[in-house]
Amino acid sequence: MKGYVHSFESLAAVDGLGIRCAVFLSGCPLRCAYCHNPDTWNRGGVETEPELLVKKIARYKPYFKADGGVTFSGGEPLCQAEFIRECALLLENAGINYAIDTSGAVALDENVKAVLENAQMVILDLKFADNESYEKYTGVGIKRTLETLNHLESIGKDTWIRTVVVPGINDSEAEIQRYTELIKGFSCVKRYELLGFHTMGFFKYEKLGVENPFKGKQALEDDVLKRLQEFADNKLNI
Amino acid sequence: MEWRKFKKGNWTNTIDVSDFIKLNYTPYCGDASFLRGKTKRTERVFERVQELLIKENENGGVLNVDPNHVSSLLTFGPGYVIEGEDLIVGLQTDEPLKRAVNPFAGYRNAVQACKAYGYEIGENVTNEFKYRTTHNTGVFRVYTDTMKKARHVGILTGLPDAYARGRIIGDYRRIALYGMDYLIEQRQLDKKRIGERDMDEDTIRLLEDIERQLEFMKQLVVMAGQYGCDITRPASNAQEAIQWLYFGYLGAVKEQNGAANSIGRISAFIDIYIQRDIEEGNLDEVSAQELVDDLIIKMRLVRHLRTPEYNELFAGDPVWVTCSLAGMTEDGKPMVTKTCFRFLQTLYNLGPSAEPNITVLWAQDLPEGFKKFCAKVSIDTDSIQYENDDVMRKDFGDDYSIACCVSAMKTGKQMQFFGARCNLAKVLLMTLNGGKDEIYGEQIAPEGEVFAADKPLVYEEVLERFKTYAAWMAKLYVNTMNVIHYMHDRYAYERLMMSLHDVEPERLMAFGISGLSVLADSLSAIKYAKVTPVKDERGLIVDFVTEGEFPKYGNDDDRADEIAQWITEFFYDELCKTKTYRGAKHTLSILTITSNVVYGKKTGSTPDGRKAGEPFAPGANPMHGRDAEGALASLNSVAKLCYDCCQDGISNTFSITPETLGHNEDERVEKLVDVLDGYFVQHAHHLNVNVLNRQKLIDAMNNPALYPSLTIRVSGYAVNFNKLTKDKQLEVISRTFHEKM
Repeated sequence: MKGYVHSFESLAAVDGLGIRCAVFLSGCPLRCAYCHNPDTWNRGGVETEPELLVKKIARYKPYFKADGGVTFSGGEPLCQAEFIRECALLLENAGINYAIDTSGAVALDENVKAVLENAQMVILDLKFADNESYEKYTGVGIKRTLETLNHLESIGKDTWIRTVVVPGINDSEAEIQRYTELIKGFSCVKRYELLGFHTMGFFKYEKLGVENPFKGKQALEDDVLKRLQEFADNKLNI
Repeated sequence: MEWRKFKKGNWTNTIDVSDFIKLNYTPYCGDASFLRGKTKRTERVFERVQELLIKENENGGVLNVDPNHVSSLLTFGPGYVIEGEDLIVGLQTDEPLKRAVNPFAGYRNAVQACKAYGYEIGENVTNEFKYRTTHNTGVFRVYTDTMKKARHVGILTGLPDAYARGRIIGDYRRIALYGMDYLIEQRQLDKKRIGERDMDEDTIRLLEDIERQLEFMKQLVVMAGQYGCDITRPASNAQEAIQWLYFGYLGAVKEQNGAANSIGRISAFIDIYIQRDIEEGNLDEVSAQELVDDLIIKMRLVRHLRTPEYNELFAGDPVWVTCSLAGMTEDGKPMVTKTCFRFLQTLYNLGPSAEPNITVLWAQDLPEGFKKFCAKVSIDTDSIQYENDDVMRKDFGDDYSIACCVSAMKTGKQMQFFGARCNLAKVLLMTLNGGKDEIYGEQIAPEGEVFAADKPLVYEEVLERFKTYAAWMAKLYVNTMNVIHYMHDRYAYERLMMSLHDVEPERLMAFGISGLSVLADSLSAIKYAKVTPVKDERGLIVDFVTEGEFPKYGNDDDRADEIAQWITEFFYDELCKTKTYRGAKHTLSILTITSNVVYGKKTGSTPDGRKAGEPFAPGANPMHGRDAEGALASLNSVAKLCYDCCQDGISNTFSITPETLGHNEDERVEKLVDVLDGYFVQHAHHLNVNVLNRQKLIDAMNNPALYPSLTIRVSGYAVNFNKLTKDKQLEVISRTFHEKM
């Protein structure tokens, strides 16, 4: 089957272990208020055969060494789990690992489970620490994300958790502590990473003619991010 | 006595430094933890240097000029940074950063250079050069009208016809290992032997060359004597080895103001002496580092008096004291020594710096500890570049050095006739305009038909005609080079540097091309999109309407990349069809230094959508902003260019933000090593690495005082960002930065 590929980034070194490529699959069930890729919300882009995509990824094998590989991101990559599953077989033959960068907000069907099972690791967005904020800022509840996290714990899959820190919404130690409390019990979580809200995706809203709920908001200051990251690291001890 | 404890071999019977190194060096596979900081003495000396550098900068880039003395080995008495404190002694003039005039390559140029900084050239110098033919005069006696026109419109640019050619590296290590008495004696024997031949033109010229070399070898002994050193004998310890070697280099830069004056591959050689001193208990790590620091300070002080036009081409007042580190032996042993680390350590002890141009000869099998330290130094200082030893070793063996940016040559066994570059994007426009220049409207190449403006260009037609004009260009280029180097040998021969080569070295003639990515994308546009020419009132094509998408070089897309490969292969083959002066081997580089900005200014609009006057990408880089699939796609495209037809180097500059590379320093180091390994394992040739933020550069442009030593890699060398003109600062800032959103 064909996948809907929004774009390809040959160097996505921070999206997992080693040197990585990133494939951004289009289509997402969430409508996060701070999304910097609103152009990936709808299914679109280039319809691509798994063979062609894997051939492209394989061009970067010289950089991967032991840990590197490809990271499927989006949009929400798990919305195209069947496509990833097909790619995964080809990747395995090519000796290339893959990681999944997901919101976790999908139903854990057979395809999704298989994709998670065979991933080298998973990057899971924990956008907010409570259901109310989730619904308010992403349009969906926290339930599926937590189910995904529980599933990752049950299969012992190495997981990094990421949270975007938005000024005025969750940029305090008290807020961050709510996340760390939630994560604390999970032994699959190997890293907790805070990302600063930035405005570099704002132009896309204008281009798409979509209303930007955070228009006028400032980017998070680097030193605030650094301080909160240290705070989180201390709380979690990872 | 000087050779005590050294393992004997072929080097003991004949001049063979490479054999000496391989028999005696100690490979080092550990990490950087043994390194030491700077001593109090180094601090004092370096503080003095910093003061002078600040003054030089405040003074508009030149601290002081002596317009009355022509630069040569013996025209200035000894000079010191701080007399009595310098461990390694010797300056080009009697004061640090004072520049002398050097009119041998071009008298007018020297006058203009003086004038630009408020000096009048001395009457004695004027009188002397009234009766002397300079290289520049010689060249212009012979240049044809077509050569002059090609130069005037900027299709051939940066030709070394008014300044010295440079890019020749003396094997300065020979002085330390053998002493001058032995080297002079050997050269006299060479002369005797060659004097037995029939006296044809080649032999006569060679014999005159040798006599000129001998004269300067003797002068070098006198020069060293002025500093109280007897270099007639070999060096007996590390300090002497470094000093002897540096005297050779110093003599060379006193004699010559060539575009690039590189120092060669000296770290393993020096390491042997340091190691012996340490084993004998005469040196510890602190003092070993101190010696290296002091040598590096001297390298940072090398200056030539240039005209402002020269700085347009080669921005930032570079000397290219290129210093090559590491690499492997031909039998697979890493040539990494502790002294390779010590050279890199100077970037911490003395801060980031453009000079010397530290060049790491990267190989897949270099020890991990060294690779990681290099990556760390890149991330912290942006001061070093990488070249692929696995690729170069096949052609140049294991004792080559890099001259200038990317030019390999066997040390002491090969020399280069440097050849600037030809603007291939302009050759395309000339093709479309039937041999006329698109800006001046002059007929440069043989007259042909101008392509029609009312219909789209047909790829096959354009390509056929382009081949004809490119072939014409290649022939003119080789012939122009032949004139230049004949005259340079005759009137500005590098006596000292050539005395430190084998008597009959192999010669390389290094041609260059600029505008590769513009041409590749333009041809791709003609092939895959619809390109309709637009004519002006002169009937010349000056613009294009380009409709539709087309593949662009820099996205690992074979459709565009194959065009770029074809261009280099085709042009190299064409160059090889014309015979070179002195039987030199043709080589080719894709390197623009910083002249990509000037080339852009001199080139009309191109079919790829680049407008008239806009800068080219530097070297073999894809055009700014056109690499849509990120850093590795861009690297993969460049890696496809074939080194076999570009043996003078393929320059690529890579800028990435720290946040894109990794979460923390350890991660960044590891990932940068992976990027370098992955790029070079694909037989890529060269990479400049900058790890910094665009914002930092903008801030530095607006507040230069806050960034006195901000160093960045440009095309094949590093510059102090403050020394760039605003034009070039903006161009660097606009370049593709690989950053994460």
